[in-house]
Formats: sequence, C-alpha cells, structure tokens
Amino acid sequence: MKTLIVGLGNTILSDDGAGVFVARMLKKDLAGAVDIIEAETAGLDLMEMLSGYERAILVDAIKLDDELPGTVFRLRPDDLKITPRLSSCHDIDIVTALALGRKLGLEMPDEVIIYAVQAADMLTLSEGCLEDVARVIPLLAREITSFVKGEKMERVSIDLSGRRSGNA
Amino acid sequence: MKRVEIDPITRLEGHGKISIFIDDDGSVTDAFLQIPELRGFEKFVEGLPVEEIPRIMPRICGVCPAAHHMAAGKAVDAVYNADIPSVAKKLRELYYMAHYVHSHAAHFYALAAPDFVLGPDAPKASRNVLGLIEKVGLEIGTEVLKQRRISQEIQIMVGGRATHPVWNIPGGVTRALSTENRDKVKELAEGQLGFAEFSLKLFADIVLANEGYLDLIMGDVFEQVTNYMGLVDENNKVNFYHGKVRVVDPEGNEIVKYDESEYLQHIAEHVEPYSYLKYPYLKDRGWQGFKEGMGTPLFQANPLPRLNVSDGFATPKAQEHYEKMFETIGGKPCHKLLVNHWARLIEILYAAERMVELINDDEITDPNVRIIPSTTPTEGVGIVEAPRGTLTHHYWTDENGIVTKANLIVGTTNNHASISMAIKKVAQKLIKPGGEVSDGLLNTVEMAFRLYDPCFSCATHSLPGQMPLVVDIMDLDGEVLNTVSR
Repeated sequence: MKTLIVGLGNTILSDDGAGVFVARMLKKDLAGAVDIIEAETAGLDLMEMLSGYERAILVDAIKLDDELPGTVFRLRPDDLKITPRLSSCHDIDIVTALALGRKLGLEMPDEVIIYAVQAADMLTLSEGCLEDVARVIPLLAREITSFVKGEKMERVSIDLSGRRSGNA
Repeated sequence: MKRVEIDPITRLEGHGKISIFIDDDGSVTDAFLQIPELRGFEKFVEGLPVEEIPRIMPRICGVCPAAHHMAAGKAVDAVYNADIPSVAKKLRELYYMAHYVHSHAAHFYALAAPDFVLGPDAPKASRNVLGLIEKVGLEIGTEVLKQRRISQEIQIMVGGRATHPVWNIPGGVTRALSTENRDKVKELAEGQLGFAEFSLKLFADIVLANEGYLDLIMGDVFEQVTNYMGLVDENNKVNFYHGKVRVVDPEGNEIVKYDESEYLQHIAEHVEPYSYLKYPYLKDRGWQGFKEGMGTPLFQANPLPRLNVSDGFATPKAQEHYEKMFETIGGKPCHKLLVNHWARLIEILYAAERMVELINDDEITDPNVRIIPSTTPTEGVGIVEAPRGTLTHHYWTDENGIVTKANLIVGTTNNHASISMAIKKVAQKLIKPGGEVSDGLLNTVEMAFRLYDPCFSCATHSLPGQMPLVVDIMDLDGEVLNTVSR
C-alpha cells in the first residue's frame, strides 16, 4: 500500500516537535518502505502532500485536559478536529482537506491514521521535547514501524474513542 | 454579571477563547479574545549570533514565514548598519510579493469567501470551502490551488525555499536569480496577475452585485472607528516591504509617520491580567481602554487600514481598483470592517503587478546580491507589512553580534483590541436581555474575527479554524446557565 508518513510540528516549541522527531526516527527504520516527510503546516499543504497515496499516517502533538504527558492517542480524522496543526485559523482542517482533495479529483488516501502525543508544554520556545514526551518517541516510532511492516507490535498508543468523555 | 464564553474546542488546551460579559440587566458590557501566548522568545534568541536570526524566526510559525524572514532580515541589516545592494532589495520584495498572493488567496477562497458566496446564514455544514466549490465550480477550485502552488514555486525559484527560508543574510541575500529562473518566473507572474484580476471580478459579481451583502458590509454591526496603521513609500503609496510607518486618525489626518528605528517612541503595549496578549496603542495618547472614535489611542493594521493610510497604489491596475473601492463605499478612510476582504483582493492584484514589474527589471539578475557588513553590530529594527498587519522585529546585540535582547510586535497583535471590540459589537446586537443568545451569534462572531485573518501561531499557538463553537452563559459564580454549541 502506497503510504505517506507526515511528522507535524515545530521543533523549537518544546513538545510540539514530537511528530517531527518520530518522523526522523522512522526515516531510518522505514527507509525505502514508505515516504516520510516533516511538515510545519497542514491544511491545503497537507492536502497536496497526501495526494496520490493510499494510506497516510500523521503524527502530531496534542494537548487535552487531564491527560498525562507522553500518552499517545490513535484516532481517525473524523474523531476530532483537534491537534493544533490539523485545524489552524488560517487554513482548513484535515477533514475538509481530505474532502476538498477528493472533490477536486485528487487521489486522496482511503485510510488516514493520526497519532497524537499528549504534550506537557508546546508554548515555550525551546529545542527538543521534555522528558515525558521524549521518552515515548522511540516507542511510538517502533509501533509505527511494526504497523507499517505488518509485524506483531507492542502498542504504546491508545484508541482515543475509548478515552473520550464529556463534549470532546 | 454573567459571562458568556465561546470556546472553540472544549478539551483542547492552549486555544483561543472568547468571553462575553453580561450585566445584571442583560446588556453586554465587554468582550475579550483570550489566547495563550508563546513563551520564552527572548530567552530563546538570547545568546544566538544575530546572523542566525533571519533563519530562525520563520521557524516560529509556518503560516507567514516570509514575513518573519523579511522583518528579521531588515532588522539584522540594521544591526550591522548595512545598506544592502539594490538588487537584493528587489529580490526580497519579489519573493515577498509571491508570499502575499499565497497567503491572501488562501484566506479569501478557503476562509472568507464561503460567508459571501453561500451567505452568512447558510448552515455551517455547507458554509465552507467545499460548499464554495459546489457553487462556483470545480475549475475555480483547481485554479486557486494551482495559483497558490505557483506562488510557492516562485518563492522557491527566487529564494530557495517557501517555508523555512534561509536566504536573507546580513547585507543581502545568499544567491542571485539565474536568467533561467527569471524567464520561468516571468511567465508564472503573468498568470498570478490574471488570477488576481479574476478574483476581483468574482468578488464584484458575487458580493458587490448582491444588495443583501452590500447592506451587510455597509451596516453598523461591522463598523469600527479607530486610527489606522500601515507602511507607505515616499509618495505615501501602499508598500509591503519598504518605507515608513504611517498612522492616520479616523478622519484620515496623518498622526505620525515614523522610521523603523523610531517605533518605540510612538507605540506602547498595554497588558491585561486575563491574557498574555499585549494591546499596542499610540504612546502619547495613553491607554484609554477599548474605546473607538476620534482621540482613541487604538489602531488597526490590516489590508483596509493599509489602504486607509495610503494615497493609493504605485501600480496602475491596483490603483484603479483602489479608487473604485473608496468611491463605492463612500470615501476614505473607511470604517466598515468587512471591506477588508475587498482590500485584501486588491492587495493580491498589487502584489502580482509588482511581481511582474520586478521580474522585468533589468537589474533583477545582477549577481552582486550582498555586501559584507563591516561595522560593529549594535541594535536594529526591521518593519514590513505582514499580510495580517505591521510586523516589527527589534534586536539588540553585544559588540560580537550576540543577541542580548529582542522585541517583536507581530501582525495580529496590532488588531487585538480591535478584534475584541468587533466581537463586543456583534454580541451587543445578538445577545438579548437575560443572556439569551440568538442563533446568528456564532456565525457572526466568526465573521467578525475572520475578517482580520488573525493568526495566532506566532502571537500564540494555532487557534482551531473550523470551530465547533461552544457558548457558555455563566453567572457570577461560574455556574453555567445556558450552553449553545454546534
């Protein structure tokens, strides 16, 4: 399956860079098997990036209330419009991006999986993630590697729908 | 007193929030936009070699990297007191014009147009870019994306990269424009010009020809009387890269026109306890709260304000539309906030015209794109017009060029007070006595802050865009009395 992995985030905003750091690890682990890119913006740019792929795996940081830093959520685009880059005020969100791409006749992936790492801090300008998030990055990279290769895996991610509460 | 909160996403932390305060008798007393701000900027840049700054600043945010790259580039030139070669100025401006087309086009088509093409009362489910394309046709959608991509390609051909540019260095830019790339850009720039003209025609056909929309634009809900700020050239024409900052009062009289290096003498920033955000105002008038009208210290900086402060455009087609716009809306300065959308499209036209001018300039392929600065670095200010307002970068260094202090006033920050006041006016109209919220509130609040094209990614982290808005009406004890959401 033609797969694209996108690490979203900003590497100088503390934990916000989590997705990018995961993508960088995957570039070694999955070299040649899939395409891997880093991106700081989403929306229309993401729509163009995803065009031509059958499957997309997006990795981003997230900050939900009452969750422990380093928790990794697994979700689908329809679950929530949540991570900062997947819905920005100057751009369209991921659900709209996928629908727009299809409408315009682009070949958009049928399968989109989002891994979102709960951040402790993504507002402070600082290079690299804080400890709780840094620790989970290699574990998430290993899970995604196994998933892509179809190997037995140890999951670090949890399905967000199982954790959803209130009006999120 | 009751408090109404409009919360874009309930579980997502670090997002923007709108709070509306209601008196005991149900009248709206205040409205605030609250957003958490990026922290540690000064600390982050402290100790860095100042020549690294133009490379690092665009990384703060992927939305307007070119604006930060240009403001930082100009500031660092100033730190070294370097007058860069004429071709370097032209190349930077050329690059920046392509960024303007890219940014403004994305805002108009993906975010602003749906309100007009589908109507402000259309259901949320169709009032988006998908509904827009349904209505105007697939070809237009494809063309918008094509032109957006082309403006990225032009930036890449001119400056190497569209996001995370590393091209501006103290004294100029790192590489010249090859004749091969010049020829390619020449062709593409013509296409951008055609696209800009098409966009204005679309606006005329769909918005201006519709009486209902004209009434909305000219109505008093979206009206706000403040001062206006923008960069102008030596003839007081709109400029995005060069010139002085001009501020005019609500009647169009010049209050001040200052050089980049003088901004601290004229602009101060007010801080409120409920927000990390700063509210810039005219220093010598003193902070007077969120007050509009003659005498206010507040100003707006955005497309319409830029047109309000200027005496026109230096390019013929944009000038023609500038005249037509002010004639249609009853003169200058214009206080009708929704006119920003029209002004934004005229700015796309100017950017495209200027791009064509610059690429046809014989000097544009001159290889001498940099001088080596030789003075001892001290401090410097760089100001450009970001698509969403005047952007100021200021750096202080030691004698070795190591940054000791930094200050930024980003585009959206200039408009913080104005955005809050615009939301208040909408709330006053649409929240009835007793705190009952009318159906149109969420749509209209969205329209109010969207017209600013606010971007909080550098002022703060991103604010969710397609917002599942939630309004909580609360009493003084914080108990929720009513919730409206979608």
